Amino acid sequence: MKINFKLNGSNVTVDVVPSKRLLDVLREDLHLTGTKEGCGEGECGACTVLVDNRPINSCIAPIANIANKEVITIEGFRETKAYRVIADAFADMGGSQCGFCTPGMILATYAVLRDNPHPTEEEARIALSGNLCRCTGYQAIVNAVLKASEKGIKL
Amino acid sequence: MINHYVPTSLNDALKYLSTHDCYIMSGGTDLMVQKHVSSLVLPRFDKDVLYVGELKELQYIKEDKDGNILIGAETKYADLLLSPIVPEIYKTVIKEIASPNIRNMATMVGNIGNASPAGDSLVPLILNDAEVVLKSVNGERVLKVSEYILGVKKTARKNDEIIVEIRLLKQNLRYLYRKVGARKAESITKVSCLVGYQIKEKKLIDFRVAFGSVGVTIIRNLEIENKYKNIEVKDLDVDRVISDYYQLVTPIDDQRSNKEYRHKVAMNLLRKFLLELKGGIDE
Repeated sequence: MKINFKLNGSNVTVDVVPSKRLLDVLREDLHLTGTKEGCGEGECGACTVLVDNRPINSCIAPIANIANKEVITIEGFRETKAYRVIADAFADMGGSQCGFCTPGMILATYAVLRDNPHPTEEEARIALSGNLCRCTGYQAIVNAVLKASEKGIKL
Repeated sequence: MINHYVPTSLNDALKYLSTHDCYIMSGGTDLMVQKHVSSLVLPRFDKDVLYVGELKELQYIKEDKDGNILIGAETKYADLLLSPIVPEIYKTVIKEIASPNIRNMATMVGNIGNASPAGDSLVPLILNDAEVVLKSVNGERVLKVSEYILGVKKTARKNDEIIVEIRLLKQNLRYLYRKVGARKAESITKVSCLVGYQIKEKKLIDFRVAFGSVGVTIIRNLEIENKYKNIEVKDLDVDRVISDYYQLVTPIDDQRSNKEYRHKVAMNLLRKFLLELKGGIDE
């Protein structure tokens, strides 16, 4: 079945089974490998992408549900000013080690700062509660969110 | 041969359902996990799949003239949290379901449709006598959520029907709620307890109790509740209420917890809430 959607600002059409996971469409059909697969069960958030500006887990999103929507992956988000602020904050605070969770963490950080530019530490933790990291112990990531918040993501 | 059908409208979906036995896919956060095989492999479905998750006509939240809140079946949890008219108790419960990403995808109808004993939103839905509207090409019927769910993963849905709306009937209750899981986020409930009550002139004029994850479905018992209605709050015998629920709460052992722990915590939560209820008479 042909499915149209907007990906990082451009219209794309894929011809796939409607149950195919958005994650596999991105990585295999469209060769965008910035989005990672961790658990494959919607728990770790490594596969986070924005759909109509909200973060979702692409590993459990059937492509049928993405038809006519706007998807932004880390590759598209990298072109924004907000990305620069958030990425610098992660680098400054040691919020990334092996890097596998980082694309998801960055998009989740963007989602919280967009809705709530100055979150409390607790709010930041809740916003990132669906993104798991096995390296940092989280404090460095939370510090990065708060640092990015101080600088402001300037939309 | 498995068919995948993406309808363009509710009527289109109803027509398809009238001739096909299907899985009904909403946000996919449960079905896509259940049918997952591995990376790069398509989820394995053993019958047709109907994708209704993005039908705009099933995405709304509105209030009727009697103050009941009507929720289009495909409304996401995130939208319920953002709505000023969705009752607070539902928001309290939804905030503790899964994670922000999942709440951006998942629906309350999915929680009802998959009929898991650990479905968190079922607890307030059943305590508050919420209803579902089922539709087919042959018409419409309304069931209470408690009538719709028959057991573990068993529902009263006929093959040609789909839930189109959830009705949160207006209530004047105060609530005490606690979910117990392994973590603050992304935990499937080990045990949960919700008490709803209304006190007027020191009398308990409404009293309801529901437990999640400690039986084949949400536990609620009208006979017990009625025994305690219209008594003076100070006469509420906490030990007696607990002994009434003692045998009704029948948890099992599974990978998340064990029956002794669940039973003990269920009773402790009930005791804590009853004491709070008794201590909280201030009018």
